[in-house]
Amino acid sequence: MMRLNLVLTLAVVASAVYLVSVQYESRRVFTELDKARAEARHLDTEFERLQVEKRSQATPARVEKLAREKLQMRQVTPAITTYVTYSDVAVHDASTGAVK
Amino acid sequence: MSRSVQYTSSPLLASRTPVWRSKFVVGAIALAFSGLAARAAYIQVFANDFFQRQGEVRFARTLELPANRGRILDRNGLILASSVPAPSIWAIPEDVEVDKAQLQKLSKLLEMPVGELSKKLEDDDKTFVWIKRQVDADIAKQIAALNIKGIYQRKEYKRQYPEGESAAHVVGFTNVEDNGQEGVELLFNKDLLGRPGLRHVIKDRLGRAVEDVGEVVQPVAGRDLQLSIDSKVQFFAYQKLREAVVTNRAQAGSVVVLDAVTGEVLALANYPSYVPDKRHNLTGAQLRNRALTDTFEPGSVMKPFTIGLALDTGRVKPGTIIDTAPGSVTITGATIRDSHPHGALTVEQVIQVSSNVGTTKIAMQMQPSEMWNTFSQAGFGQKPQIQFPGVVSGRLRPSKSWRPIEQATISYGYGLSASLFQMARSYTVFSHDGQIIPATLLKSSEPAVGVAVFSPATAAAVRKMLQMAAGPGGTGPKAQTLGYSVGGKSGTAYKQVGKGYGSEGNRKYRSWFVGIAPIDIPRVIVAVMLDEPSAGKYFGGEVAAPVFSETVQQTLRMMGVQPDMAVRPQIVANTVEESF
Repeated sequence: MMRLNLVLTLAVVASAVYLVSVQYESRRVFTELDKARAEARHLDTEFERLQVEKRSQATPARVEKLAREKLQMRQVTPAITTYVTYSDVAVHDASTGAVK
Repeated sequence: MSRSVQYTSSPLLASRTPVWRSKFVVGAIALAFSGLAARAAYIQVFANDFFQRQGEVRFARTLELPANRGRILDRNGLILASSVPAPSIWAIPEDVEVDKAQLQKLSKLLEMPVGELSKKLEDDDKTFVWIKRQVDADIAKQIAALNIKGIYQRKEYKRQYPEGESAAHVVGFTNVEDNGQEGVELLFNKDLLGRPGLRHVIKDRLGRAVEDVGEVVQPVAGRDLQLSIDSKVQFFAYQKLREAVVTNRAQAGSVVVLDAVTGEVLALANYPSYVPDKRHNLTGAQLRNRALTDTFEPGSVMKPFTIGLALDTGRVKPGTIIDTAPGSVTITGATIRDSHPHGALTVEQVIQVSSNVGTTKIAMQMQPSEMWNTFSQAGFGQKPQIQFPGVVSGRLRPSKSWRPIEQATISYGYGLSASLFQMARSYTVFSHDGQIIPATLLKSSEPAVGVAVFSPATAAAVRKMLQMAAGPGGTGPKAQTLGYSVGGKSGTAYKQVGKGYGSEGNRKYRSWFVGIAPIDIPRVIVAVMLDEPSAGKYFGGEVAAPVFSETVQQTLRMMGVQPDMAVRPQIVANTVEESF
């Protein structure tokens, strides 16, 4: 009887210690998960921010200005555009250097 | 057996203790224990809420999970407005420990004078002070790197508008609390706003969340909103408008571009405008969304509706001769004049040369109620179905109150008022086979379902007249654009100066042009208005038509519409032999 009690006591103590360590581990892992989630959110907003940044670097206003001033380009007009249609491909001369 | 306890055999102590004393002690201890038991029961069973709450306060935290405000996109999915993190910097003045070098750096980063900054930090009475709200994420990082005690950051979001001033009036803006204040931001605020989520957690000594308690309420992000606006069309329309306003030294201007097939608003711009990100010193003039909120008498733009009604009811044919000699007509004592006398004109020519007399003579054959019905169906005097902050319905009086002279003036566009947007939309009647279609700010891919105002044949006939009006011999030849056939009406009106319309040399004008292109298979409707052009030219055909021309050119090119008119090619053959 005495021996059984001893074994059971040891079992209870072992189980309690194990419980504590599992709880500790689970909290640690949870904290890590939480951190990872926060990081994901952070990266998400960063992505959004960079997209906006990219967009503001490519607004029509900026593109137009750079094209005009840096690259010396001019606006396309129908006069300098060759429209290619499926029906009369042969009419257009490919050597004219189609703009469009 | 005696009734006392013999504790000792010593005779000195042999005093007899009464039994009640020991009983009393036992009783007192029992009472104390039962008191404790009752208290324990009270704490643990009956009043445990309080203690549980107290416990929770010490380790449980409720975290708000912020919901992102939805983005506003143009029709091609390009960002017009989006929220980006912009931390706000705050401080607890009494905790702040900062040396001179740090202060210098801080003021440089915040673009704030050192004096102002130290004044904020020295205010010891306060336990909380905003230093600067919503700074750039990069700058916030650098401030955090300075590591100054007592200065903290709070995560906040800021709206960014990459398109800047060109789309400012359509998109609008939000306030510092992320609530819409103007434009689409205000109109669709509910959709754009998300619902923040909630999360209960247990935090440990180091402030880390270690366990979720109960259910997590996930945040619902705001809906992304796709507008019908095309940011390129919007930009070019705004750019051309701005150039025209500046060169004509006008007070202001507006331009509206509608898709003639779907009724979508491709562009809606006003000048002067503002940069939505930098709203210091905003004036009312800059904020005003003139295309929707300013009404004026549409003038000649109305004539096609009067003529269209006459054609539709079979009263006239495009070739019917109307005698407009001697360039004036008298109705109940009032005389209506043309700017130049024209003599006999066909109905087509009445529109082409914009004859008030011709239009009046045709209008006087009709009932006021007929005209009122047609004009109302075309949206004049009606509340525009497009919801927008500050939108107006213009004015068209009930036909019962029209006197004959008013019927005459209304027929050529005076005595009623409309916004530029209403005028643009009303021209869908001509572009959409006689049907008026609803305009929309949201992207839609289906052709709009309209309400018939005129027959398709009438619409085609009026389009031909509009083409003549925008051609040689018409009032707006400057509306012509390379490669595309156009049609439209110009308008010019005196603005009220004091009590009258001003004296010669002191007049103020408003000029506009509303047109359709390409004329046979209409794709766009463009309406342009300039307020008080004062550089000499002021006719709608002179100042507004060129903006129309350029906007049509750019818009149709970007929509990939092939020119319907022959163009003399200016392509120079590349003679240099190169192999690619």
